[in-house]
Amino acid sequence: MAVVFLVEDDAEIREELSKVLKKYGYECRTSDDYSHMADVILRVKPQLVLLDLNLPVSDGYCICREIRRKSQIPVIVVTSRDTDADELMSMNLGADDFITKPYNTQILLARISAVLKRAYPASPPQVLSCRGLELDYGSGTARSGGRTVELTKNEVKILSLLISSHGRILSRQELMNALWQTDEFIDDNTLTVNVNRLRRKLESIGLKDYLVTKRGRGYLV
Amino acid sequence: MSLRDFLKSRWLSIAVVVLVSAFSAVLLLALKAGPYAAAYVSALFLFGEAAALAVEYLKRRSFYRDLLSSLKRLDKKYLISEMLPEPDFPEGKILCEALRSTAKSMNDEVGKCRRETADYREYVESWVHEIKTPISACRLILENNPGKLSRDLQQDFYRIENYVEQALFYARSGSVEKDYVLRRCTLRDLVSSALKKNAGLLISNGVQIETESLDLAVSADVKWMDFILGQIIINSVKYRRARPTLCFCGSQDGNSAALTVEDNGIGIPQSDLGRVFEKGFTGENGRQTAHSTGLGLYLCKKLCDKMGLGISAASLEGSGTAVSIVFPVSEMYGVVDSPAPANLTKL
Repeated sequence: MAVVFLVEDDAEIREELSKVLKKYGYECRTSDDYSHMADVILRVKPQLVLLDLNLPVSDGYCICREIRRKSQIPVIVVTSRDTDADELMSMNLGADDFITKPYNTQILLARISAVLKRAYPASPPQVLSCRGLELDYGSGTARSGGRTVELTKNEVKILSLLISSHGRILSRQELMNALWQTDEFIDDNTLTVNVNRLRRKLESIGLKDYLVTKRGRGYLV
Repeated sequence: MSLRDFLKSRWLSIAVVVLVSAFSAVLLLALKAGPYAAAYVSALFLFGEAAALAVEYLKRRSFYRDLLSSLKRLDKKYLISEMLPEPDFPEGKILCEALRSTAKSMNDEVGKCRRETADYREYVESWVHEIKTPISACRLILENNPGKLSRDLQQDFYRIENYVEQALFYARSGSVEKDYVLRRCTLRDLVSSALKKNAGLLISNGVQIETESLDLAVSADVKWMDFILGQIIINSVKYRRARPTLCFCGSQDGNSAALTVEDNGIGIPQSDLGRVFEKGFTGENGRQTAHSTGLGLYLCKKLCDKMGLGISAASLEGSGTAVSIVFPVSEMYGVVDSPAPANLTKL
């Protein structure tokens, strides 16, 4: 589980964003010791830092510079300042990405996973497994009990989303929003077709009722 | 200044000299100095006056002629006091002095207004940035507490965000500074970024997206285009009919590339079409739906003008609207050719 360190001075955002990140399978750490923030971060050794720019004591730029002096931890700047100057400054100080508030949560999650993938090319599990099913990203196949079935790009995405929020109902809107963030601007009908095809494929490898439809609420694995 | 006007303005001194010379002639005749002496003395008087007037006239004429012709050539008339040659007669000096102090006081006043506008703009920008923090917090809270209430509120927050964004761009559109960066990108990058930003709105309204030949390279500011396309997308959703679709279509024509955003909504009446980019214009459609500010397309036009892009709208009432943005494909613009940060293009 990737550890994300959240530097944010607004307590409410800190708490709620932690919840969101936890929901999507990240471990979240924070601190409100703004005068020694960089030291705290370096001690915790997270896989990724989400950094706000407007902070008490020293601003995000200083923290970013201090982190970069000693470590290559990926840093995503998350801020409400949105001028080109801010963006340029962040990039010059070695930030890996720049997102402006208020962000679409799906965009934030997509950026986090993109930065993590870039920074740790070998580390993300190429195989995701849950309840007897193995989803192999590399070959785009699902395996269960020795049987294998090939999945399309969209099917892999839908299945991995459902697996990573295992036990929680994902609404159709959430699924579509997540797919849109990967440049698949699919509509409602396409989603239905994709999900039905995916369900049939899973049944063909012996996983009946693996993907459950909750009428009016969404899908569940 | 014509000679006649000049002589007219000097009538008193001319009249005095004429009278004095006539009086001297009469006096000399009365003293029996002879007609020649009388004529000579009065001619001397008149000639002296004429010579003095001529010198005076020529000086003034060259000064005022310079003044008027500089004034005509000047683009910004208030700079005239900087252009004046130093005159060597007292009225000219007074005029110069008056013009200079007027110009200075006006410069001070303009400077004051400019500072105030800049201050206000700065305030709006910082206010917008401040308000984004609580909006983000609310969005996250809603995200963590799913349900009908939160779905409804999310829609409203989406609208709040849009109005906040409008305020920011309104403040930016009015300033003379160039605060955008033109970067090389493809139409696909622009469309894709805008679609992602507005994903929630489009998905919850069941809008079907189509894209067509978007692999054309253009120069634009990605954030500004996000806003512009966002306004067009919001309009399409606002004025939709059943089974809404939105088609993003690229095309190339000689020296320009165009992006057309076409919807199948209620369209715009022919009589309103010419005025949709005017500030505060809401038209027939705006009167029927309550939430129309007449600012969205106005800002789009203003921002496009600033970036040197063309924007136009075409519509058939009852069957849809198409807004086209034209990007001149030219190397003349100050395009930053270095690749944009990954998040801007690869989004």
